[in-house]
Amino acid sequence: MTSPHRRAPLADAAALTPLLAPDRANSSVLRVALVYLVVGLGSFLLMGLLGLLMRLDQGGILVIAPVWFYRVMTLHGAGMVASILLAVTGGLAAAVSATTRLSARVLWIALVIYFIGTSFVILATLVGGFGGGWTVLYPLPTHGLVWTLDAALAMYAGYLFIALGLLLYCVHMLHALARAHGGFVRLFALRFLFSLGRDTRDPLPRPPELIAGVISLDGIAAATAGMLYLVPIFLHAAGVMSVDALYAKNTVLLFGHTMANLSIYVGAGLVYAALPAFTGRPWRTTWAVVCAWDLIIILMLTNYSHHLYADFAQPVGLQLLAEIASYAVALPSFIVTIIGALTLIYRSGIRWTAAPMLLALGIWGWVFGGLGAVLDATIPVNQVLHNTMWVPAHFHTYYLLGAVAFAWGYLFYMVHELTDRRAARASSIAVWLYGIGGAGFILMFFVAGANSVPRRYAVHLAQWQLYARVAVPFVIVLALGLAWLSWDLATRFRAAWRGTEGPTLQP
Amino acid sequence: MQNPHVIFGVLIALGAVWTLGWAIIMVRSGRSIPVEQLERSENRIRVGLLGGLAAIAIVVFVLSLPRLPFAGSRRAELGPPQVTITATAVQWGWIISRDRLTAGIPIEFDVTSRDVNHDFAIYDPDGRLLTQVQAMPGYINRLVYRFSAPGTYTVRCLEYCGVGHHMMTARLTVARQE
Repeated sequence: MTSPHRRAPLADAAALTPLLAPDRANSSVLRVALVYLVVGLGSFLLMGLLGLLMRLDQGGILVIAPVWFYRVMTLHGAGMVASILLAVTGGLAAAVSATTRLSARVLWIALVIYFIGTSFVILATLVGGFGGGWTVLYPLPTHGLVWTLDAALAMYAGYLFIALGLLLYCVHMLHALARAHGGFVRLFALRFLFSLGRDTRDPLPRPPELIAGVISLDGIAAATAGMLYLVPIFLHAAGVMSVDALYAKNTVLLFGHTMANLSIYVGAGLVYAALPAFTGRPWRTTWAVVCAWDLIIILMLTNYSHHLYADFAQPVGLQLLAEIASYAVALPSFIVTIIGALTLIYRSGIRWTAAPMLLALGIWGWVFGGLGAVLDATIPVNQVLHNTMWVPAHFHTYYLLGAVAFAWGYLFYMVHELTDRRAARASSIAVWLYGIGGAGFILMFFVAGANSVPRRYAVHLAQWQLYARVAVPFVIVLALGLAWLSWDLATRFRAAWRGTEGPTLQP
Repeated sequence: MQNPHVIFGVLIALGAVWTLGWAIIMVRSGRSIPVEQLERSENRIRVGLLGGLAAIAIVVFVLSLPRLPFAGSRRAELGPPQVTITATAVQWGWIISRDRLTAGIPIEFDVTSRDVNHDFAIYDPDGRLLTQVQAMPGYINRLVYRFSAPGTYTVRCLEYCGVGHHMMTARLTVARQE
């Protein structure tokens, strides 16, 4: 069976980079990447079940004691962010590995550190009883009243290890990319950028390489912000110093919000890597692509503070800057990445199998979630939406129907490329179930937000329960779709694992 | 700009336009043509969208400026507060210096917290969120607001503050202006 990218009308076959390097030098990296993706998406499914429990409780269908609800909520939030980031970073490592020499050993070490971190989080919540929310907003973790300081410190230790795992991944990625391209100026195509595309002496990075550089830089910044948050808190716990609440909010949101944002931007990088294989059209490194992604380095780090609009102690200038940055970050993403992806698809002769369908679903969800986010980033609007269900509405949209769809799509692409076996035709139905179930599920969050239902409430008033009740059948449809996709994947995964060694030579 | 149902309507309208555009591209993905034929149109669309969306963003930003919720902006909009009330959050309740208020006059709420971060959110008698400000330990956040109608309003905590978060409510009784 031939792969779709061989059948499709190739405009520039040489520009399409294969997943497996010609000398098979990246076999071991592809294996780690598969582990990242499978473990990340597997954890996502488990965390999703916790989410279903919470919606059942909020709908009044199942009663969970508040002390357990908040523990589940904390694990669900932290687990989702960690799982999705793990999956997409695995995909990105695979996407650049054919042309950039990455160390499988470093990626395994990063994964182990990440696991240690997530183990601490699981212990802190399920054993230690920690229920301070995934945002661990100081001083609640050390002032929860129903959990111990040890549980809070275990949670913080978990975050410390997760941040260290991310840091190791990003530093290694950035170092490898800079070495492959001959420095940061070339990696970020700065001469090409500042000459408005006229200076083409430097070889340009492929879009996934450029994006990997961008997210690695921002990942290092996020991990540093995490340290700036965590170290004073450990010192506070040791009685050495006190911590200012506004400082803590700024640093924890710079850390957490950027971590969450990284997932979607890494996911977008996977679209750049995989979509050309299905459309037969290369995604070139144009000036617009370079400009957009170089701008995102700065913009991704400045928009977090739209979560602080209700903190009137934050200087007004910074509040206005947050609104501007929140609008600004949407522009390059939409105008360059989304329009670029749609152009790649339009009249391409694409053959719609599960993988490109998942990527297309992710494009839809990313924009729809982005619309909800941009509305909420408008300060007067935020006054009546902040910390209502609108907030989980927008981030569930571009997580579940954006980054996660990209990760599933990329994993299906990898399996297809490594096995030369397409997903079962019936799996397209699974993607429809995923899309319809997911859209209904997130829509009920938006409806609840528009009706001022608060987020993070263990007990919902009778008049609020309808929204969660309507959401539950959609979650079941979504779960069916995901279970179907998982089954399809499971039947082909062993062959994909063997495929990382390259095609078997026929006698 | 501050009616959540209108905001939801805007989301659905924009979402419908986007979904329609996306669906057209998906439906018209067959019958391949060389990508070079699209490049000029793609660039035109990009430039048009950049100009259009940037213009919309600037207009929305400018329109949002007179409606900022911060104390200075609200004082400029509503006039100087005639009553000042302190609201102190404590896990899991509110200590409010006065809970009987008058409609039609600007009121300043000086909001703080004794322990962790909370959020002082005022809901109208129909359950609609009207305004909010964070209650932060070590800071006093000043929220200026004018109740337009008498009734019983509910204060809810909107910043997660522990296992009693959902129970952290208070009542404000607003009377007609004499």
